[in-house]
Amino acid sequence: MRNSNYKFDWNVIEKYWPEILKGLIITIQISLVGMVFSILLGICLANGKLSTNLLIVRISTSITELFKSIPLFVLLFWIYYGFSLKFNFALTEFQAGALALGLTGGAYMAEVFRAGLLAVPIGQLEAAYAIGLSKMQSSILIIYPQAIRIIIPPMVNIYIGLLKGATIVSVIGVSDMIYVARYVSLETFAPFELYSLAGIIFISLTLSISGFVYFLERKLGRSKVDG
Amino acid sequence: MTDNSKSFFEFEAVISSWEILLKGFAVAMFAATLATALAIILGLVVALMRLSTVAIYRWIAFAFTQFFRGVPLYVLLVWVYFGLAIAVNINLSAILAGVASLALLNAGYLSETFRSGILAIDSGQIEAGLALGMSKQDVFKEIVLPQAFRIIIPPMGNQYVDAIKDSAILSIIGVPELMRESQQLANLNYQPFEFYTCAGLLYLIAVALVSRGTNRLEKRFCTQGAQN
Repeated sequence: MRNSNYKFDWNVIEKYWPEILKGLIITIQISLVGMVFSILLGICLANGKLSTNLLIVRISTSITELFKSIPLFVLLFWIYYGFSLKFNFALTEFQAGALALGLTGGAYMAEVFRAGLLAVPIGQLEAAYAIGLSKMQSSILIIYPQAIRIIIPPMVNIYIGLLKGATIVSVIGVSDMIYVARYVSLETFAPFELYSLAGIIFISLTLSISGFVYFLERKLGRSKVDG
Repeated sequence: MTDNSKSFFEFEAVISSWEILLKGFAVAMFAATLATALAIILGLVVALMRLSTVAIYRWIAFAFTQFFRGVPLYVLLVWVYFGLAIAVNINLSAILAGVASLALLNAGYLSETFRSGILAIDSGQIEAGLALGMSKQDVFKEIVLPQAFRIIIPPMGNQYVDAIKDSAILSIIGVPELMRESQQLANLNYQPFEFYTCAGLLYLIAVALVSRGTNRLEKRFCTQGAQN
């Protein structure tokens, strides 16, 4: 290893941390919008997979497999540069990013919702019908409240995935944390310090969320629905 | 919708540059496969460290898993390639930086998989092995690992799929893999839709093949229950 000419200048962090923080807020925002979209898509796909209509089952399964298999990075480019140009569909960078996150997350969410709904014993549904609840009522009042306990921990894990996925939206020009770090490092020529800061912020964020999941799993596990 | 005199979708450019795309696809698969192979070795080492009786090994392994499971690939890649390499003045080739980052990240996940796979083996199995006079090492090699292997086939396959998908991110540091080539061709021909669709399809095929392979392996090795 040769002698390095690189001068470490940790003062840049002191100077630019508000910018980085602003970027972080955008990262969190886009991941949250993506998450809301994932949940909605996940519910639709999960119900589609559990449908009695074979065609709906096939379609939902294909959509799930499709978005689980295509890399988020490719999907992002496909939506932002490919799809929107081809069909003259003007999307902002933020919208394209949130959409890509939502589609990928939705596919994973579908599996989680499906498993959660199936984990509720069938006797619960039968009992709901027996006391005269409609199909809609028994889903909302009986099945979902029980399924949600099972769903929450894996759902938060998916959110961590989306948060990590949200770092790549800067490639289409969303001014998220990494984008800001890159931008500032061009100005200050201190990439190591800035990327280190971004990395540390990210790790502490994901670790605290996964610590929360661990806590939730123990807490919800105790009152797990069983046969 | 745009009104072109030519047909709406033009895949001629994609077809005529199939050679470049295929080469990019090969680079992507190479990077993902090499990274997964390295991750399996490293992951096993870390898993064993986590199960070690020496506290310091356990801590190091724990820190390793937490770190590499928490950091996104993009951040790691940028940090290694643009940050670390510049700071300590080493000439890191893009593919090396990419494969190393991908391997470290996957090793973090795989070590947890291996650990739970090893822990899932009934302790009676180990006791029985020891009672038969086998050495500790032999018990691990002949009894624990083969059984744990069956349990971890599906998650290992998933990890390989993730590595293939994540390899697309290597394009940002200039690894000439499928996504990088697609980006350049898309800009050159001004046909982003066609080229990105093609790239997506190729990833889809790769993932489908790996999933099918994993299923087949699982069926072959997991016919009997692995527990007890």
